[in-house]
Amino acid sequence: MIGPIISSGLVSPAWDNIFAVLLGIGFGFALESSGFSSSRKIIGTFFGYDFVVVKVFFTAAIVASVGLLYLNYFGLVDFSQLYIQPTFLTSAIVGGIIMGIGFAMGGFCPGTSLCAAAVGRIDGIVFFGGMFIGVFLFSESFSLLENMFYSGSLGAIMINSVLGISPELFTFLLVLVALGMFYGAAWVQKKVKKIEY
Amino acid sequence: MERKYTILTILLIVLSFGLVILPEKKDQKELNPEVLLSAISEKSRYVSADLVTERIIGNDPTLQLIDLRPAEQFKLFALPDAVNIQPESLLSATTLELLNQPAKDKVLYANSDLISEKVWLILTRNSISQVYIMKGGMNEWFNTIIKEMPVNDAASSTDLDLLSFRNAARQFFVGTGVTSRLPASAKKAENVQVIRKAPAAASGGGC
Repeated sequence: MIGPIISSGLVSPAWDNIFAVLLGIGFGFALESSGFSSSRKIIGTFFGYDFVVVKVFFTAAIVASVGLLYLNYFGLVDFSQLYIQPTFLTSAIVGGIIMGIGFAMGGFCPGTSLCAAAVGRIDGIVFFGGMFIGVFLFSESFSLLENMFYSGSLGAIMINSVLGISPELFTFLLVLVALGMFYGAAWVQKKVKKIEY
Repeated sequence: MERKYTILTILLIVLSFGLVILPEKKDQKELNPEVLLSAISEKSRYVSADLVTERIIGNDPTLQLIDLRPAEQFKLFALPDAVNIQPESLLSATTLELLNQPAKDKVLYANSDLISEKVWLILTRNSISQVYIMKGGMNEWFNTIIKEMPVNDAASSTDLDLLSFRNAARQFFVGTGVTSRLPASAKKAENVQVIRKAPAAASGGGC
């Protein structure tokens, strides 16, 4: 599953789960040490007093994009070995709306709710429990939702090909947009009343 | 603004702009001639019109139909969700990107097999995997699925099952109440079981 280290045969696939656990621990540690286990930090994006979540995830996206393109250019990563999640447009829109409402209501995303639950936060534990109830209900009603789930199938499509530009140019534009957004977020944050938490 | 953020901003802009101005990479991946020869002699690249139809009706998300016929013919009639690609634009970056989807089975069809065979060879040579040819192209598909065939009274149950499936498929595509000319003894309710291929295992993501 983890490419290109395992899929290229450098390491046995038996290490797959070990890598997953180690990466999960690292990710969880980074989330907790950045304060992401606090629902107030995530909800800050919604109310405009704390944009650190947006900044962190957007930074991760642009650094990974630039890094991957350089690694591919120099032959260190084979793009064809990377798994690209197929796009199902309708379910992506519906799922995005539900997840957005969940974010704004609960102040967590799935990963941060696990972090919060792990450090004993009651709101995190409740959110985590709710997530499982949601997963159960979705699984049980899948036959009713199946058509919607698979509709709008676009395959493993890339946004740059939809726009008709190269991945390199798209990444450059994405970096400019992200940096503009960071400065814009800092400006908004200055205008909004500070909240201590 | 803190100096470190200014430096990081400039660094990101320079690195991302560097990607745009880097000279184009020439090391195109091509299949080893021996592997290609072995693939040519394999018949597994062909899929039948029946199988393609079954996957279309089953709304199989892993199926990507590639119509290689001229654009005018494609506009007149094409299989559902097919993408029209002209063979001369086959090696354009956007077309290769569309075809280079590991999670999809790319099924090529033209009016016959001739163009599909050529395109299959070029794509396979370019290391694009999971490329198949609908055997006989649109002519075969029309003769198999749309054109009603007479039924032999001595037909086996397998043949009758296939015929029932084709009758159902014909109604799916042309929307008319065409009834089959099955022998009276064979006219029983048939359940056409469409087996949907599961989408490729999704890798986790998000926060």
